[in-house]
Amino acid sequence: MFQVLPQPIEDILRVLEYWDHILAGFLTTMELYGGALVMGFFLGLLLALLRQYGGIILSRIATGYIEIIRGTPLLAQLFFIYFLPYSMNSILEAQGLSPIPIGKWNIQTDIIILDRIITYTIFDHRMLVGLLTLGLNSAAYQAEYIRGAIKSVGTGQLLAAQSLGMSRLAAIRHVVLPQALRRVIPAWSNEAAYLPKYTVVVFFIGVVDLFGEAHFIVANTFRTLTTYVFIALIFLALITIVSKALDFIHKRTSIPGV
Amino acid sequence: MVETPDLPSIFFYILVNGLPTTLLLTALGLLGGFVLGLSLAIMRVYGGIELGWIASAYEKVLRGIPLLILISIFVFGIPGIFWFIDPLMRPFFGVILALGLRSGAYQSQLFRGAILSVDPGQMMAARALGMNQFQAFRHIVLPQALRLAIPSWSNEYAVVIKDSSYAYGFGIIEMLKVAFRVSANYPLLWAPTMVVVAIIYFIFTFPITKMFGERQTKKLKKLGMGGD
Amino acid sequence: MIRIVDGWKSYGDLQVLKGVSFEVGEQEVKVIFGPSGSGKSTLLRCINMLDPLDKGEVYLHEQNLIAPGVNPNMMRARIGMVFQHFNLFAHLKAIDNVSIGLRRVKKLPKEEARAKALEMLGRVKMAKWADHYPAQLSGGQQQRVGIARALSMKPDVILFDEPTSALDPELIGEVLQVMLDIAKSGTTMIVVTHEMGFAKAVASEMLFLDNGIIVERGTPQHFFVSPKSERVKHFLKQLDILYGSHKELLKRSNEEESK
Repeated sequence: MFQVLPQPIEDILRVLEYWDHILAGFLTTMELYGGALVMGFFLGLLLALLRQYGGIILSRIATGYIEIIRGTPLLAQLFFIYFLPYSMNSILEAQGLSPIPIGKWNIQTDIIILDRIITYTIFDHRMLVGLLTLGLNSAAYQAEYIRGAIKSVGTGQLLAAQSLGMSRLAAIRHVVLPQALRRVIPAWSNEAAYLPKYTVVVFFIGVVDLFGEAHFIVANTFRTLTTYVFIALIFLALITIVSKALDFIHKRTSIPGV
Repeated sequence: MVETPDLPSIFFYILVNGLPTTLLLTALGLLGGFVLGLSLAIMRVYGGIELGWIASAYEKVLRGIPLLILISIFVFGIPGIFWFIDPLMRPFFGVILALGLRSGAYQSQLFRGAILSVDPGQMMAARALGMNQFQAFRHIVLPQALRLAIPSWSNEYAVVIKDSSYAYGFGIIEMLKVAFRVSANYPLLWAPTMVVVAIIYFIFTFPITKMFGERQTKKLKKLGMGGD
Repeated sequence: MIRIVDGWKSYGDLQVLKGVSFEVGEQEVKVIFGPSGSGKSTLLRCINMLDPLDKGEVYLHEQNLIAPGVNPNMMRARIGMVFQHFNLFAHLKAIDNVSIGLRRVKKLPKEEARAKALEMLGRVKMAKWADHYPAQLSGGQQQRVGIARALSMKPDVILFDEPTSALDPELIGEVLQVMLDIAKSGTTMIVVTHEMGFAKAVASEMLFLDNGIIVERGTPQHFFVSPKSERVKHFLKQLDILYGSHKELLKRSNEEESK
């Protein structure tokens, strides 16, 4: 709209002038991605074990959690967690209690590269909400992959281990899980590789990740299409690299017959 | 609403004012994705090396881009694509286009899987009767593939209806946006309103994916479809 | 009536057919047998061009099917095929399995196609199962519907690709009975089978295929009384062990014939 003729090279160079912002955004995105993946994995493993071996009550709870998370939009989950302290504060205030402090803290650091000083927010309450949401959400999806793998190992292995005198817990820990975790890699890779895509929702609560920085760059350069396509390509590259890397790891760690 | 609204009335308010738009976004996105996805799947299965490569590259690219960025590209990046539509309505169509293009990539995968899981003997028997490849596909393979695709298609429906909530960020008055309007002045209601929205989404996803997922799979097994 | 001349076919490095030639006359029944992997099924698929020959020709009524300009779909409509695994269309009821070729290939109106299909189902004694889906039928019933489907197109010749070898033993009889009936009513048939009783009863000639070539050919009498090659003798002996004495089968088929 502000350009008479498209000038792709100039546009890209103009966007690349903001490489410090792109870098900061990328770090934030990676932080959210890594955090959510790890949190989602351990919580997902727990959910899968509870659903499979937890007895009636615990397995119902795990199933309910998984179905609710999978049946509702990530965005609604994000806003719920983000708003929860505000809603609680209005109850606390009505009762004359002191409210929960919101947004009064952050951890920042300055990164100096070349002539630029990047003020990077390592953590604040928005990041916390984002990480919690993405981790809690991803856990439900990862749990289903892990449970599928546990089921495919079969009860025969569990029975054989127990017949050796292992406790149920030891049998799960030493016989079922090592096989299940290897088997889960192909399906889990899908979730793991595509998780970066979902981190962009944190934009809505004001976390300045890659997508947030894109808005900043657009506001300063008016190179709307170039900026968004450039950011899209970063995600595409990231996802492609991660999924290739996971494929490679899978091939390296596979054991015949497992 | 002058006094603080109660949750049941919020529930119905969102349902009446937001659900139609959400369902419209979902329906049009799914429909576009269906046409595109089926075409891509056919290209991958029957299209030879070049067409197959194009379709598979399309899938990879569209699956690797966050939906929010895709919508931003169509709404802000190239607003001119909808020059013939009233400017106020453009974001609505931008969202549908993004939902449809992305769903097409996923639906291509699920239809491809369904086509490939139809026993090759079906195609052979149809050809042996004298049908040409198109007739055999149209009358024998496709009807079976579409039935086989129902369970995964119901999952895709759930994905699209949930993702239609991103339209909230582009000024479209769907359920999430309505929820924000209702609770704007009552911090107490912010979190509970999100639960109400989530419940509506849940009502519109969980029973449907359950019904079409498990039941349909059993039904198909009974018909001897789906291999093994 | 149908003639295959010097047919060659390979899949990659594997030569499956190495110059196969034979001819089937009007109302004749040819039985092809031989060890697995000998190229029998490939031969049938080459005859109706589901798998085109690498080299060689197929003639139907003196028309070269491989010649340019010949529409293979039109030719296939004149060559029926019955499959080892039935390959009934899983989403269609028995009646629609039989009528779909009439409707979509011969473009008959719905009612007419249905009436003809019902008649064909009657011929294989499956009329009362018309509204069942394939998965609701036994293997033998499915195969009879498969035969009705092939018959419905009124083909010049029907190819049978091991039609009973995927069936439980107690279901084989009903399918063989139907095949005997249609053979005796004057249908031209090429049958790949190891059912020697059937061969004895209706085959005008038997071909022993091994390693992609016809090793020996002759009447059933020739094969059961004085086969020449060692391989045929050995193979027939193996069939004996597997299926019991073919003399037993011969006796049974003679009894059936005399009924």
